[in-house]
Amino acid sequence: MEVIDCSIIKEKAYVDKLDNGLKVIIVPKKETNKKYIIWGTNFGSNDNRFIYPETGEEVIVPDGVAHFLEHKMFEQPNGTNSLDTLMSLGLDANAYTTNDHTAYLFECSDDSTFYKGLDEFMDYVQSPYYTDQNVEKEKGIIGQEIMMYDDDPGFQLYLDTLKCLYEKFPIRIDIAGSIESIAGIHPDILYKCYNTFYNPGNMVLVISGNFEPEEIIKEVKSRLKPSKDIGKITRIFEEEPEKIYKDYIEKNMPVSMPIFMIGIKDIVVYPQERVKRHLAIETILGLLAGKSSELYKNLYENQNIFGELDYEYEFSKNYAHVLISGQSNNPQLVKNMLITQVEKLKKDGINQNDFDRIKRKIYGDFVTEFNDVASIGRMFLADSIKEVNSFDYVEKFDDITIEYATQILHEVFKEDKLALSVVKAN
Amino acid sequence: MDYEKIKLKDGVTIHKINTTKFKTNLFAIFLTTPLTRENVTKNALISAVLRRGTENYKSQNIIAKELENMYGASFDCGIDKNGDNQVLKFYVESINDDFLPEKYNLAEKSLKLLVDVVTNPLVENNGFKKEFVDVEKNTLKQIIEGKIDNKGRYALDRCFEEMYKGEPYGLYKYGYVEDLDKINEVDLYNYYKELISNCKVDVFISGFDMPNSGENQILDIFKPRTANYKVMTNLYIENKIDEPREVIEKMDVTQGKLMIGMDVLKLKKENRPAASMYSVVLGGGANSKLFQNVREKASLAYTAGASYIKAKNSVLIRCGIETKNYKKALDLIKEQLNQIKNGDFSEDDINSAKQLILASYKSIKETQDGEINYYFSQELSDEFVSIEKNIQDIEAVNKEQIVEIADKIALNTIYFLTDNN
Repeated sequence: MEVIDCSIIKEKAYVDKLDNGLKVIIVPKKETNKKYIIWGTNFGSNDNRFIYPETGEEVIVPDGVAHFLEHKMFEQPNGTNSLDTLMSLGLDANAYTTNDHTAYLFECSDDSTFYKGLDEFMDYVQSPYYTDQNVEKEKGIIGQEIMMYDDDPGFQLYLDTLKCLYEKFPIRIDIAGSIESIAGIHPDILYKCYNTFYNPGNMVLVISGNFEPEEIIKEVKSRLKPSKDIGKITRIFEEEPEKIYKDYIEKNMPVSMPIFMIGIKDIVVYPQERVKRHLAIETILGLLAGKSSELYKNLYENQNIFGELDYEYEFSKNYAHVLISGQSNNPQLVKNMLITQVEKLKKDGINQNDFDRIKRKIYGDFVTEFNDVASIGRMFLADSIKEVNSFDYVEKFDDITIEYATQILHEVFKEDKLALSVVKAN
Repeated sequence: MDYEKIKLKDGVTIHKINTTKFKTNLFAIFLTTPLTRENVTKNALISAVLRRGTENYKSQNIIAKELENMYGASFDCGIDKNGDNQVLKFYVESINDDFLPEKYNLAEKSLKLLVDVVTNPLVENNGFKKEFVDVEKNTLKQIIEGKIDNKGRYALDRCFEEMYKGEPYGLYKYGYVEDLDKINEVDLYNYYKELISNCKVDVFISGFDMPNSGENQILDIFKPRTANYKVMTNLYIENKIDEPREVIEKMDVTQGKLMIGMDVLKLKKENRPAASMYSVVLGGGANSKLFQNVREKASLAYTAGASYIKAKNSVLIRCGIETKNYKKALDLIKEQLNQIKNGDFSEDDINSAKQLILASYKSIKETQDGEINYYFSQELSDEFVSIEKNIQDIEAVNKEQIVEIADKIALNTIYFLTDNN
């Protein structure tokens, strides 16, 4: 077992790769009563074409399969539903699906029920049970979930941004699929996905709370079912061009004021460069669009935006982009002012005081994540799927120099990589 | 002691929560005042104007830079409704010095900044700075008009508005657009002075290794105050029976939102744990009647649940359904209500519900904001009930008591947000 010590924030992570290929990460938190466990597979909505290891055939799945599979994991052969079972123990159980992973989790604030919960939890994730009847029933429920998102302006705005940035890559497709696409889902396709992607070698288990690492690893191991080595999974993606697909998209929905999202497409870099790049981009975004920025001040005081500008850098092993969003009566103006500000920063260079200040903020934001076992669990899982080490966000901090940030500014913030998405009322 | 309450003077209380669970310290000031149609918009506007600048930090930009320098300390303010009270909430959260690369006295700096924002606003010509008020009036207008953007939230607020027409709780916590034109920076500042002298003030300090100067700093500021404060505590609400109302509203939506507001009639204080249990058996989690029957068995909804609003002794059901299924869903929900009335639920259902409520009580101390809000809600009721006592009370609830609550349930308002067809 490898121990990663992040002494400056007084946290440690214990990482173990088990014989069956499962990666287990333990982040002990002595002071808290809350225990959190999250089990994720590197299978999300992007993984819609792959080689089925059993037969070598190529499988193309309907949109929304990863999410559908997540819903169906809870159903058990004896007619019970594991979500109900966990909840009736007083455990806060849930699951979610993203572009690149699916996660199952529960949270517990009572020592006595954790291990009962662990029995059920580890059993259901390892026991697929899909029938024509239970798959059919789920279509109505997920249909309602899809319709809920159809009415969510923020979600539509986000998806539209991705549709502009990407021409081929499946991130441009709704994670839940559509009512039409899920109609084509049947047990056979779910089993094929399960047998491929729910192999321990493709999964990561993260546990945080008051645990002795050696002890809890033993508990995990004793609940593992036999599995076979299926080797490396082959996923098939069409090649995605470096350029953006479209630079503008607009949708009409009943909103009180237009909302906008600016996306900037980035390239995928090697795992060892990802954290550094992320930190540098975060710093640049803070300088450009943060609450102390010139841009924000001008936009806010002249009533060209309401509220704050949200910004983030999203990336996985297969895609990377910057997102900046807000509420404005004049999204085009916001976009133009952002571009002007980028050019000004490139020309004037980054000011040392501003740079140091924003870096301190990023440090603080990262440390705050360690307040809560749930955010620790989600962070370590998501980072692990991205093939990065969460503690590097502190360890690599000093590597982010003005020179490096300037280089990234020139490399990433380019007008021809930028798209604008707008949702406004009729 | 983990929790210490210091009554500085009438209406000004400091709550110290000693905890080592977090990387951060959290400081909060809550100003509580009765919720009224006259003042609701002004209160919402004040919290927005105060964060714009103080005599010491003259602009939002300067405050933002200070916060970034303080290792990304976050300042937050908001407006809440607690029973018939309106609460202005201000927070600063910052990293404990133990986890910084240097000693920075962040706790002291944080409390100082927070107190400054709440009590030392930038004043020009005997009023708030005009520019701040003008911009924030517009922003608040946008927030109020933005109600429609989140359909689920909108439907919930509308249901409350219908249920409590003409009563304080029916007011929208951000106020009303038509009030804004009448407000200017001088009147608003005069109203602020009245508010800060007469509201109930609660200061929360949560974390470890806390600054000792806090009490003195706060005492100095509020020393001249001769409080004349009023807080609404309603422990017994009669809840009159009205003819249930059906309100249907149309909008350009894909999914319909069904809200059902119900009163718990003549509920005594000691029966509140049973009311809480009733709402969880009905719609508290995956094992509840609504989730199992409306979602899992009938596939009518993705969201289907119920919650108990303690401050008003009401239970609210909410579902997101296909618009054409309105009648079907309504009948199915009514059937669930009847089943509980007839005692048609098992010991397992009761145990699941208990576990769910107990888990939520046990997790209160696991978030700083959760713990602060727990102590604050105790402060607003007329007696202090510990988390442990709440847990015992829930454990003691039995089936008969839940059925008894079901007998006291009266439909008040059925609200449905549907599409234009």
